[in-house]
Amino acid sequence: MSLSKKKTFKIEPFKHKVEIDPRYAERTWSILEDAIHEIYNHNASGLSFEELYRNAYNMVLHKYGDKLYAGLVKTMTQHLKDMAKSVEGSQGGLFLEELNRYWGEHNKALQMIRDILMYMDRTYVPNYNKTPVHELGLNLWRDNVVRAPKIKSRLLDTLLELVHSERTGEVINRGLMRNVTKMLMDLGPTVYHEDFEKPFLTAASGFYRLESQEFIEFCDCGDYLKKAEKRLNEEIERVSHYLDSKSEAKITTVVEKEMIAAHMNRLVEMENSGLVSMLTDDRYEDLGRMYSLFKRVSTGLVLVRDVMTAHLRDTGKQLVTDPERLKDPVEFVQRLLDEKDKYDKIITSSFYNDKTFQNALNSSFEYFINLNARSPEFISLFVDDKLRKGLKGVSEEDAESILDKVMMLFRYLQEKDVFEKYYKQHLAKRLLSGKSVSDDAERSLIVKLKTECGYQFTSKLESMFLDMKTSKDTMQGFNSLLASSDNSDSPTLSVQVLTTGSWPTQSGASCNLPTEILTICDKFKTYYLSTHTGRRLTWQTNMGTADLKATFSKGQRHELNVSTYQMCILLLFNSLDRMTYKEIELATDVPTLDLKRSLQSLACVKGKNVLRKEPMSKDISEDDVFVFNDKFSSKFYKVKISTVAAQKESEPEKQETRQKVEEDRKPQIEAAIVRIMKSRRFLDHNNIVSEVTKQLQARFLPNPSVIKKRIESLIEREFLERDKVDRKLYRYLA
Amino acid sequence: MRMPKDVIRLNVGGKLFVTSSTTLANAGSDSMLSAMIGDYWRTASCAPAAEDFFIDRNPAYFSVLLDLLRTGELHVPPGISERALHREALFYGILDHVRAAKWGPLDGNRLECVNSIRGRATGDATAIRAAQDGGCCVARGPMVHVYDWSMEEQTPLTLDYVNVNDAGFLNPQRVVICTCERGDKTGGMALFNVKTGRLEHKYEVCHHGQQKNCTAGAVAISDASLFASCRGRSNEYGIGCWDQTTGKLTDFLYEGHSGPLGDACKLQWLPHSSMLMVAALYPLSDDSFISFLDMRSNSVVWSWTDADKPIVGDEKVVMDAIAMDECSTVCVVNQFDNLGFIDTRASNQGVRWRDHYKPGKISEAEEHCYSKLAVWGSQLFSSKGDSVYVFCTPDLDAARCVQTAKLRKSEGGEISDISVGGERLFVLHNEEDVFDVWETSGFFSMTNSY
Repeated sequence: MSLSKKKTFKIEPFKHKVEIDPRYAERTWSILEDAIHEIYNHNASGLSFEELYRNAYNMVLHKYGDKLYAGLVKTMTQHLKDMAKSVEGSQGGLFLEELNRYWGEHNKALQMIRDILMYMDRTYVPNYNKTPVHELGLNLWRDNVVRAPKIKSRLLDTLLELVHSERTGEVINRGLMRNVTKMLMDLGPTVYHEDFEKPFLTAASGFYRLESQEFIEFCDCGDYLKKAEKRLNEEIERVSHYLDSKSEAKITTVVEKEMIAAHMNRLVEMENSGLVSMLTDDRYEDLGRMYSLFKRVSTGLVLVRDVMTAHLRDTGKQLVTDPERLKDPVEFVQRLLDEKDKYDKIITSSFYNDKTFQNALNSSFEYFINLNARSPEFISLFVDDKLRKGLKGVSEEDAESILDKVMMLFRYLQEKDVFEKYYKQHLAKRLLSGKSVSDDAERSLIVKLKTECGYQFTSKLESMFLDMKTSKDTMQGFNSLLASSDNSDSPTLSVQVLTTGSWPTQSGASCNLPTEILTICDKFKTYYLSTHTGRRLTWQTNMGTADLKATFSKGQRHELNVSTYQMCILLLFNSLDRMTYKEIELATDVPTLDLKRSLQSLACVKGKNVLRKEPMSKDISEDDVFVFNDKFSSKFYKVKISTVAAQKESEPEKQETRQKVEEDRKPQIEAAIVRIMKSRRFLDHNNIVSEVTKQLQARFLPNPSVIKKRIESLIEREFLERDKVDRKLYRYLA
Repeated sequence: MRMPKDVIRLNVGGKLFVTSSTTLANAGSDSMLSAMIGDYWRTASCAPAAEDFFIDRNPAYFSVLLDLLRTGELHVPPGISERALHREALFYGILDHVRAAKWGPLDGNRLECVNSIRGRATGDATAIRAAQDGGCCVARGPMVHVYDWSMEEQTPLTLDYVNVNDAGFLNPQRVVICTCERGDKTGGMALFNVKTGRLEHKYEVCHHGQQKNCTAGAVAISDASLFASCRGRSNEYGIGCWDQTTGKLTDFLYEGHSGPLGDACKLQWLPHSSMLMVAALYPLSDDSFISFLDMRSNSVVWSWTDADKPIVGDEKVVMDAIAMDECSTVCVVNQFDNLGFIDTRASNQGVRWRDHYKPGKISEAEEHCYSKLAVWGSQLFSSKGDSVYVFCTPDLDAARCVQTAKLRKSEGGEISDISVGGERLFVLHNEEDVFDVWETSGFFSMTNSY
């Protein structure tokens, strides 16, 4: 030791700070890391939860949370990568099973790791905005396994293939399928959606596009719909078995689009099996199926409805404009009713009473019924027919239902006033001839009309009934008077006193009554006026009937039921056997048209010709000569000689009724105009027209030009005046 | 002796505890205790049932916590540090149980002052805000002091010398702080982590796709959104609405005829009617405006102002307002601490004043704190001087309220702010840096209605 060598002292500083072992974190982490390995290797039995929890706790407590978290991510990723490799290596069919098995293992391991790291989850994770352990485990599984390049597409292909083979009728392992889709759902809605649902829907779309193409080529409409319905139900069932319930709406949309929407028009228009033929053949089941399937597509029902409406209008139009049909009004209306029944049934049983279809039906009927201007007349004739004979022997309920159906048609009529006119005429005939089957039915129909159109509409009809009743009373009084004065030889008279205005009477058509009749008529007149002073009686000879007792050769006696005019003619032959047309016309003073008609029915109807005409021909001309037909014979004692008058109106009569209706409309239109102007004071032309139309449409559709004429007439009569500045504006003059 | 099947023997730091698995299950599925006895670990470790579970913790504290799990009540014997008890509870994962056992549902009539937290500053704190779990924060100039529910102070948040206008808890770990903006793109509204003290998100205001700098006034927090009144440099005045999860601006309601929304000094989210109350009051704005916004339709559903009323003498000025959601009433207070009520079912109603007190002379020398309002269910809290008055209001007509309690703690001088939340009432004093925590002890009462 040399002296030159300096002795150096080194003073060790006193350690104040107590440092924990610098390798503490490493060591602790390696314990935890080993544990994670063991857990993944199914070797957790040797692990102590408390020890692991405590170690993780200590790491977080000593601010090694970062290290712990990063280590967890690294270790778990490593295990998942290994799992991904095994899954990738699995044999074709076992692929899904392997994946599912590893998923189960990972879940279990994840649960245990989360337990150990619970303290970190509770303190470190929220403070440093990290993903909690469980969610982290799912994310890592997603990124390292499900979305691993070699797995992602294979998984998708396998799933889609399974679905496809199930669609083609094979049986697949639905449980496994459910587990795998459940896994995708657990990984979050986006994973399920992006990695499976989207491609699944695309595949379904392709599949059904092809299939529907094939079906539409080879199937008829009904079969196609059956197949589409089956497919739809299958998809719904599939969702319930192994897909997310939210997918149901999406997959059904795909099926609806490909199988229904894409072929909608073609299906509906299919020849011999499309909608039209379904309607014609009443294929309720097919129609119901079409309705429920097309309802799923936005414009589906509109299409069905439009085609139905077009078809209905078309057939309806044919029906009402067919000249063959016009020959028989009863048949005509019956056909309408049948058509209505048919469609009512279709709508009830196949279209679930869909309101829009009912409306379409109504509007179609309204459209085509009014195409034929004679519809009101025909409907009234139909009622007439029913009330004369059709309802005989029919139960009250059935009668009611027939009347209800008629009312339905009545509702479709635009020109309700025309109907009223005809109805009045027909009712008058029924009442006067006493041909009505049932008083109850008559009244019931009046009540229906009243509820439909209001009091005004039926007031005159009701007063007709009243007249009938009072006439009966009057006749009783008169007959008892005659009985007391003992005039047994004179003809029996039956009179119905009709209130003028309530009845559709044609005035002025009088004739010269035979003297025998005239006496008793005058007697009645005196009797009636004695009880009802201040009244005037006019004889409506055109509406009466008479029963004549006649004796022919071989002493054959018959009772002839004839009209008043015919009676007048026949009584002439009491004194003469042969008369010319001119002579008859002069003697009876019956209007020409009626005379010709009466003669025609007396002379030209085979088997009922009480008179003979010379020369023989179908029509009556002014030079004809008439001879009493002594050889007349009949099987029956009573012979009804009907006037040759078509039940339907003849062309001029029709014109006349039309004219009358138009006349009647004038005051109604005027009244409406005045009502409106009274409340509005000022109104322009267009508004008046629309208001008037609105007010009157329950009875008829007024023609705007007619309204204009009425306005002008009201201006002339100084109810209204035109505004001085604006000529289109009208002013009400009080 | 026959032992029940669910007996669990625990060796905690050398001391043996025998309990049942059902008792431990009370700790909840995400606690250490139930994980330990859970199926995964018990079957995995193949431990024979008789073997004890060992836990390396202090048995004295475990004893208290086990008692809590058994009875649901927390009884802290002498010699047990509360702070350490909380630490142990956190270890076992049952800290929430401890918190829930500490105090009951807030009842203004049975409040006890359990704590007075004294800081080191000189007073003059601006505001106190309660957190959902019973913690709170105190804003003082550019500083926000945050306390967790055990009144442990967290990292203080320093806001670079910008004054704090308002604060609100998004959740017990996150606080939103509103400050004035400065020219250099700082200030505005931001989200802070109370545990780490770090800024986590800055809420942006965009106008026509351009980011704007805004002063954030008041803040309110709903289930999924947060709202703040904003004043920008050009015309970004109004109420902003941000999504809580994304932190992005979802809506901005510009000022309309319904008053200066951007100047609002108080926002209140009304969960019952899903509306936002916006109050712009003196002195920030000259006239008082209170309106209810429906943020789904971005429209003003109801509003009230005194701008069009004539000013007479010492006109009553609304200094604070609070909506009582369930009785359709806004409660207001004026500069003389008088309480008033506005019915929100009618439009443009006047204030029905409850009191008509007017001081003869206000001494200028003494600094006066104006009254503040807070509401909790049907109870209304109003500070006056150094006391808080509690009012109970009938269900339908808040104006018929009755004063039921007066809360006073002598230290700290006048009250500058109060806040209710997490079943606690916080009272901030003005003269000294101190705030009081009031809570209801574990007894529960009920209201008899007959």
